[in-house]
Amino acid sequence: MIRRVAAITLLGAGALAAGKPAVPRRHVVEIRGMAFVPAVLQVARGDTVIWVNRDIVPHTATAGKAWDTGTLAREERGVIVSRRPGRLEYGCTLHPTMRATLITR
Amino acid sequence: MKHSTPSGLLALLVLSAATAELRAQTGAPDLSDPEVAHVAVTANSIDIELARFAGPKIAKAEVRAFANTMITDHSAVNAQAGALAARLGVTPRDNPVSQSLLAGAAAARASLEKLHGAAFDRAYIDREVGYHQAVLDALDGLLIPTTENAELKKLLAEVRPAIAAHLAHAKGLQGALAAKP
Repeated sequence: MIRRVAAITLLGAGALAAGKPAVPRRHVVEIRGMAFVPAVLQVARGDTVIWVNRDIVPHTATAGKAWDTGTLAREERGVIVSRRPGRLEYGCTLHPTMRATLITR
Repeated sequence: MKHSTPSGLLALLVLSAATAELRAQTGAPDLSDPEVAHVAVTANSIDIELARFAGPKIAKAEVRAFANTMITDHSAVNAQAGALAARLGVTPRDNPVSQSLLAGAAAARASLEKLHGAAFDRAYIDREVGYHQAVLDALDGLLIPTTENAELKKLLAEVRPAIAAHLAHAKGLQGALAAKP
């Protein structure tokens, strides 16, 4: 089974939250059945989000110019560290019907 | 082994005269697993070849992106199907349904060859909408119910959402092209 980190994109300067810094967590979004699962994911600043493609066909997880995992073949994974608070709609550039949301607190 | 009666575009594309003859003889086109594998590989190859043919003739970037996705996705599916067939020791076997699909593809290509520009884009996408609907119907009404091998059945079931997404993508383009020719 292939395990490849397709892309690592750091967003913004390393801004630590005021006060006690939280321990960053890892979140996994599976791409399966031509959908992002979960379709809406809420994370904290500094958390890592990993997309794993379980489908036969390739996919991307792309939020415009903010970040892009690049093309992920079956069982490949793409990683970002989310540092910019807000709500980002993202999708697969290969399959426009696939949309999801990443909310960073 | 039982399956419902395919209808609509599936009847047009899959249940050709040859298949209808088989149906008349047996009550339903009862494909063996090697025949199902052949139909699956043929269906993917047809769409890859049409996208390659269409590429240089396509006018709009969004339609070209769709064609490129068809090449990428159907190639990925065929790679998986080939690997599975090799692992199972199954040799895909030609059959009337595959032949019907190929005849339909040849006719579609012949009609597209005469077109250019926006008219080509519309006709190509119209064909893709019809083709993916037919393949989806074939998966539901014939291929998945007919398949006996669990791994081949699972592969076909995994492919289904991709075909449905391609159909939705093509329908979206069809609407956009109609609104802004």
